[in-house]
Amino acid sequence: MTISYFSFVSIPALAALACPFVAKLKPRYADMISGSALLAGLITAVSYIWEFHQPVMAALPPADLTFNLEVFRSDIFSLLMIIAIYLVAAAVAFFSIFHRRQDSRAGIWQGLLLMSAAAMSGIVSARDFFTLYVFVEVAAVAAYALIAFDDTAEGIEGALKYFFMSAPASAFILLGVALLMLYTGGVSFAHLSRAASASAANETAVVVILGVMACGFMVKAGLVPFHGWTPDAYQSAPAPVSALLSGIVTKAAGVYALVRIAMALKSMPGNVAAAAACNGLMFFGGLSIVVGALGALRQRDFKRMLAFSSISQVGYIVLAAGAGTPLAMAGAIFHLFNHTTFKASLFLNSAAIEKQTGTTDMKSLSGLETRMPWTALTSSIAMLSTAGIPPLSGFWSKAIIIFALWKAGFHGYAVIATLASVLTLAYFIVMQSRVFFGKTPEHLLQVREAEFGMLVPVIVFSAIIVALGLYFPILFTGMAWPAARTVL
Amino acid sequence: MTLMLLAIFLPLAAAPLAMSFAGKLRRVGDAVAILVSLVCLVASVLLFGKDMLYTLPWAGFGFDFSMRIYPLASLALCAVNGFALLVSRYSWKFMEDKPARDWYYFSFLITLGFANGAILAENLVLMLFFWEGLLVTLYLFLALARENNECKATAMKALIINGAGDVCLMAGVVITGWLAGTMSMKSVAAAPLAIHGWGMAGFIFMALGAMAKAGALPFHTWIPDAASDAQLPFMAYLPAALEKVLGIYLLAKVCLEFYALNSSLSMRLALMTLGAATILIAVMMALVQSEYKRLLSYHAISQVGYMILGIGTGNPVGVAGGLFHMVNHAVYKCCLFLTGGSVENRAGVTKLDELGGLAKTMPVTAACFVVAAAAISGIPPFNGYFSKELIYKGALDTGYTGFFIAAELGSLLTLASFLKLGHSVYFGKKPEGLNVKEASWHMLGPMLVLAGICVIFGFGAKLPLKFLIEPSLAGTYADASLASLYGFSVPEHLHGFHADKLFFMALGVIALASLNHWFGLRRGGSPQKASEHVHHAPGLGFVYSLAEKRFFDPYDQGMKLTFFLGRGLYVLDRVMDFFTDTLPAALTDFASLLVSRLHGGFFGYYLGWAVAGFVLFALIISYTGALP
Repeated sequence: MTISYFSFVSIPALAALACPFVAKLKPRYADMISGSALLAGLITAVSYIWEFHQPVMAALPPADLTFNLEVFRSDIFSLLMIIAIYLVAAAVAFFSIFHRRQDSRAGIWQGLLLMSAAAMSGIVSARDFFTLYVFVEVAAVAAYALIAFDDTAEGIEGALKYFFMSAPASAFILLGVALLMLYTGGVSFAHLSRAASASAANETAVVVILGVMACGFMVKAGLVPFHGWTPDAYQSAPAPVSALLSGIVTKAAGVYALVRIAMALKSMPGNVAAAAACNGLMFFGGLSIVVGALGALRQRDFKRMLAFSSISQVGYIVLAAGAGTPLAMAGAIFHLFNHTTFKASLFLNSAAIEKQTGTTDMKSLSGLETRMPWTALTSSIAMLSTAGIPPLSGFWSKAIIIFALWKAGFHGYAVIATLASVLTLAYFIVMQSRVFFGKTPEHLLQVREAEFGMLVPVIVFSAIIVALGLYFPILFTGMAWPAARTVL
Repeated sequence: MTLMLLAIFLPLAAAPLAMSFAGKLRRVGDAVAILVSLVCLVASVLLFGKDMLYTLPWAGFGFDFSMRIYPLASLALCAVNGFALLVSRYSWKFMEDKPARDWYYFSFLITLGFANGAILAENLVLMLFFWEGLLVTLYLFLALARENNECKATAMKALIINGAGDVCLMAGVVITGWLAGTMSMKSVAAAPLAIHGWGMAGFIFMALGAMAKAGALPFHTWIPDAASDAQLPFMAYLPAALEKVLGIYLLAKVCLEFYALNSSLSMRLALMTLGAATILIAVMMALVQSEYKRLLSYHAISQVGYMILGIGTGNPVGVAGGLFHMVNHAVYKCCLFLTGGSVENRAGVTKLDELGGLAKTMPVTAACFVVAAAAISGIPPFNGYFSKELIYKGALDTGYTGFFIAAELGSLLTLASFLKLGHSVYFGKKPEGLNVKEASWHMLGPMLVLAGICVIFGFGAKLPLKFLIEPSLAGTYADASLASLYGFSVPEHLHGFHADKLFFMALGVIALASLNHWFGLRRGGSPQKASEHVHHAPGLGFVYSLAEKRFFDPYDQGMKLTFFLGRGLYVLDRVMDFFTDTLPAALTDFASLLVSRLHGGFFGYYLGWAVAGFVLFALIISYTGALP
């Protein structure tokens, strides 16, 4: 049975169109539409887990090797991504209701959020590269607008940096799609694998095409050295947008595609070029882990530190995906989901802190745990999970990645990944102790806990982190492992 | 069996109870402790003369909770509980205003329970368990005695020295149990082990463990320090009484029951040499002390030498003398420490320079002191004379007259130092402003009892020898009734006073000591300085000054060594730290600085990196891949 995910794209897209208009009546209507659409989508997606059967890749009709858009069919990996997308989008939408209460442009804001969610759902359910490219561009446009939403100089600068980095990347992706079209006569994943299996020479050509596209997606994913835009954009964007960007947009638009490319490369065993491309992915993944962690160590700004942390964590995912054994792939998928929960949670916390204290500069923050106990608690759960402390979810995914790397023979990368998690703990302890522990200074004594509505999303994220840590087979053996197995 | 279990576990159970009374109810806790001591004494008297063995399952592997009461254990048990009762009664008054009081009776009762356990235990491992447990309370007593750091340091010193002794004992127990094939003392005693090879090692280790507890050389150095720092009843209770009884009790068991010491001349000579050395060295130190308790503490060491010498002779007279001396010494040394406590309590000082003429105002204390001092100095007809006489006789019988001479010399110096002490404190001139009254009856009572025992065991020395000592040795090679079997003459010395050459030797010693004291008084000018002519004698003066700098203290020398070892390890640690900590941290810091500086927001860099990344990726694929 194949499940059509079309509704996951169409419903938020339609809701996005409706939002600016209902907001004319009353801005809160936009919040309602957005919230209910995303929440409904989330519930539907989660309910699909139980209905899910192994998808059967519909065999392409023999005559139909011409231009073929094979859209909106998906496997369990896509479903997992859709759940993550809706989770983060719903959390951000819900959070912004309270965070941007005074905002008169709620209609546009929520519309952009919905459009972003729709585009991302499109990315993960696409079955051909052209569709994927189109949705990547839609997601990117929504992201530019969201980053610059508050009309601050920094926001516009961040959005422009993202745009100027992203545009060449899109060009690369489009070039790859064009080459694929030229070479195989179609752009679907199925065409790719069919072309690859035709002959060894074709395989190498396919690798080149995939490599060209991978360069574009590495920019979108913010992988070192294609990452230049990430810290500036995340820091200057409104904090809920940073949560959306780091939590899911870069994952869906970049990392997801990279994982798919790695899977495709792995489906060509014995091809030296494919192996070399995988080595390249792993190299950039390892580089990201180290550079991201080192960069995070010295940051003074909460959000900028989180941005560097995101670079580092994306590195883990790509490193594992590049290694390509089923276990590593499952670890990558698992870590992708976990990173979504804990990084979104941390960025939402930074938004709460920014709103309550007016700053995210860690130099002027201290001892907030007495003032904002729930924020402090959820932040420490998310941070411990990122650093890979048992029994939280991040521990399992990191451990699986490291074990898989070691088992696959990449001992050096396994050691780097392990040492870098020490750095992760180091910078997060610095962050946690600067912001939350210690003595509360005079000027922060009046600070109050964020309002309940803003706490609900982070508490939900914390609950997911703890639950996935305690019962990690739920996600790992239930979804990440089959996802890795079916595709490989 | 109930009585034996009672003697062990009643004090252990009552200890937390005694401590739980606070504030105005404090007295109730004290009373509980005294009552428990009394009950234990009654239990040990009821056990007297019995011979019973009870076994309860314990740790398995042949480590049973087995207890045995027999004459030798009875002797030790009665002694321990008797002293416990007297000291606890004495402490009622002495400790009432001391800061250490909260913990005092707790430690006291735990010590009592463990000591009873160590005496009654029939299994070597069980004995070791109780024996080691005593370390804890030893540390507690010392560390909580006063609120200063010196007593913590002394407590640590005592703990380490006794710990070293206990490690020796542990090694001895393991070797003995392995050689004998059983951990049951009675089974070991059924066939005493020969002293050679591993047997020699086992004997040496066990004997060292026993002597360390008794405070013989070289395990003695903590006792004088404890005398300065600890509360006085502790000195009367542990180093003067319980530890001597336990240590010599175990040494007697090792030498008489576990190992056939009588057939090993080398070990007997070693023991006797150690005994003689302990006597002489400690008494030389005692002679020049100028503080009441410290002087007594050196005598507590010195007297152990007599007991070891006596047991080391390996003949019935000497061994009986060693055991009898153990009892006697505990009695008079306990009494002496208690007089010291009374003086401290009333006068507030214990420096000899600041004391004098107390006999007028504290006549009863002075009388007790005189009796006990006469007993320790071996003046007939007090108890010390009789046990020493047996030891002299035993030493003479071995044929090595040197040990006899050393023992007599020790007696001479003991008397000299007590002449000095008694003269300084109780007679002589009273310093200005020293107004004291007689000690409280709470404290006089135990002292009088002890002094009374000194007199009774002296005039009626036949009684304790017949009812306490001889049964204890029954069945061993030191059994007096079997003496002829081993080629010894039937020892008429075991029957009390008689005027033979040893008696006249004693009179000679008394005369010499008095002469020495008179000479010292003439030279020094005051009784406090009566030993200065020895202290600064040519040659000796140098040795004394080294000793006073603790040059001969194995603990202090060991600590110096530890200091250098510690420095070395510290440096090694810093080097390791540099490579595991400082260097990686510095490198990480530098790299981190570089990375964050590079992300300055300049778009050109960002784009440049991305292009470089693209080129790199292309290179990776084309170089390692199969592209042309």
